Amino acid sequence: MTARRLLTPANAALAVLVVLLLALPAINSGFFVTFVLTQALIYGLIAVTIVFLTSHGGMISLAQLLFAGIAGFMFGNAALESGARGLNLGWPPWVAVLFALAVTTAVAFLLGALASRTTGIYFLMLTLVYGVIGYTFFAQVVTVSGPGGVTSIVAPEPFTDRVNLYYAAVVLSALAYLAFRAIGRTNFGLALQGVRDDPVRMSSLGFNVPLHRTLAFTLGGFVAGVAGLLNVWWRGQIDPASISIGPTLIVLIIAVIGGISYFEGAWLGALVYVLLDTYTDSIPLIDRIGLTPDRFNTVIGLMVLLIMVLSPEGLVGILERVRRGRGGASPSEHSIELPTTSPTPVQTGSGREP
Amino acid sequence: MRPDTTTGATSGDPVVELRSVVVAFGGLLALGGVDLDVAQGERLAILGPNGAGKTTLFNVVAGDLVPTEGSVVLKGVDCTHLPSRHRPRLGVGRTYQKARSFPGLAVGDNLYLAVVGRHGRQRALLPRSGDHSWRDRAAAAAESVWLYDRLDTRVADLSHGQKRQLEIGMAIVTEPDVLLLDEPASGLSRGERERLTGLLDELAADSTLLLIEHDMDVAFKVARRIVVMSDGKIVASGTPEEIQANALVHEIYLGSEALT
Repeated sequence: MTARRLLTPANAALAVLVVLLLALPAINSGFFVTFVLTQALIYGLIAVTIVFLTSHGGMISLAQLLFAGIAGFMFGNAALESGARGLNLGWPPWVAVLFALAVTTAVAFLLGALASRTTGIYFLMLTLVYGVIGYTFFAQVVTVSGPGGVTSIVAPEPFTDRVNLYYAAVVLSALAYLAFRAIGRTNFGLALQGVRDDPVRMSSLGFNVPLHRTLAFTLGGFVAGVAGLLNVWWRGQIDPASISIGPTLIVLIIAVIGGISYFEGAWLGALVYVLLDTYTDSIPLIDRIGLTPDRFNTVIGLMVLLIMVLSPEGLVGILERVRRGRGGASPSEHSIELPTTSPTPVQTGSGREP
Repeated sequence: MRPDTTTGATSGDPVVELRSVVVAFGGLLALGGVDLDVAQGERLAILGPNGAGKTTLFNVVAGDLVPTEGSVVLKGVDCTHLPSRHRPRLGVGRTYQKARSFPGLAVGDNLYLAVVGRHGRQRALLPRSGDHSWRDRAAAAAESVWLYDRLDTRVADLSHGQKRQLEIGMAIVTEPDVLLLDEPASGLSRGERERLTGLLDELAADSTLLLIEHDMDVAFKVARRIVVMSDGKIVASGTPEEIQANALVHEIYLGSEALT
């Protein structure tokens, strides 16, 4: 890929955004950065795997938070030397990281293989079942967790520092965004989109459709696992309630709020969610209209309803429409970047007729 | 070679051999014991009224359907239970009655995927220098089916006729030894049908063509042998002239109308 092809408006905007985010702690390293933004980046990193599987594979997965959870539980079990619960293996933290990601990826591969022959609502339901099984497993198997979860988890150096953890979330989010975007133009990514559009046709063209679905699901599980590690380092603990059906749906809602067809929508949706979650009760007179903190889900519900009515493509879809409305019919930054293969130049029009 | 008149005369080694193929959907017998040999380089059209079992026969050859009974041998390999995804490597390409391409992808990507499907690197995450030549092949195929100026157009934005053209392009871009075309002319204008006929005539002499077609002009111009099906069975087989003169064919397929 040439430098000119890399220098697209979308890439330039991403570079500016990443630089700004990395520079932000120099101005403010307080609550907004280390709590609001870090949390939004982690949620976004989980939600982007839903966007990837949905937009490229046609697979709406409700198991992504489970994979984040598995990575968190595995890290806690492997890294802690002692504690009230868990295996307390006491392994070096980076070995625990590798172990957590290996287990998460293996489980994602296995569950993906099981689900690879289902599509649509059946796939959705199966991944929901995975989520419920995962929650029940960690809630009931006290050897690895139990209902109280694993606590006192310490991140490996240098991520004990919350600003460094924020940097990690920024860099990993940017890498995941670029990787998912690039994958769409690879043989694997193109074939995955083919599987999304017509699996029977893909099979007759010679593709192993179930294996393709399985590998995409595994990739999604791996990235969600990375987000799960950041999450457990950030929270310092993990319990089964954090991967129950409520939070599972929240991650899906984040992807939908942002725009299920846009990778950047995952982080935008996550930011909106975290901002609402954090600051709704600070809005003056908000309790006067009945929106007390315990009615936060009502706010989110109304928000989702509003976005669904205004733009099924989420917030990024709205922004896209505004941008196109202003800039005329310029092609979308998010449209598929097509290759510039130009074999024998062919004249247009009648010159092409036989 | 089978001397049976219902299978027709063939020359050269058969690349498609169907033996007593039965396909039953519950109580419905879609294929009731079909025997068919197709020789390398043969141009065969399958005619028959709706529900005769033509597409079911294609699905069996292409591997989309496993026959209830009987065997399917392609280029000497028993493929009876071989999934459809192994067919392209054997040199089998097909089109569907209703165009089945990938609406979310560009025309060039659709054709490129067809090449990748036959030649491998299907799960590659990194580009390779050879990919470029495959892209060139995709572009050349687009040109063959008059879609070169639509290479970057999403399939969802194509017209019905263009989707049919792409469907054929996706089959020929893999340079299949055995090409199965299911009603390629349906929905095409007269001019487009003539172009299609010309395109099929230009296929390599050693490539085998099986064609389901309701358009008699296309079928009789392209095919050297015609097989007529009715109620899941082959009822007649012969040259276009023989079929035109066959009274049984007139009765079951065209009623009292003469073939023209």
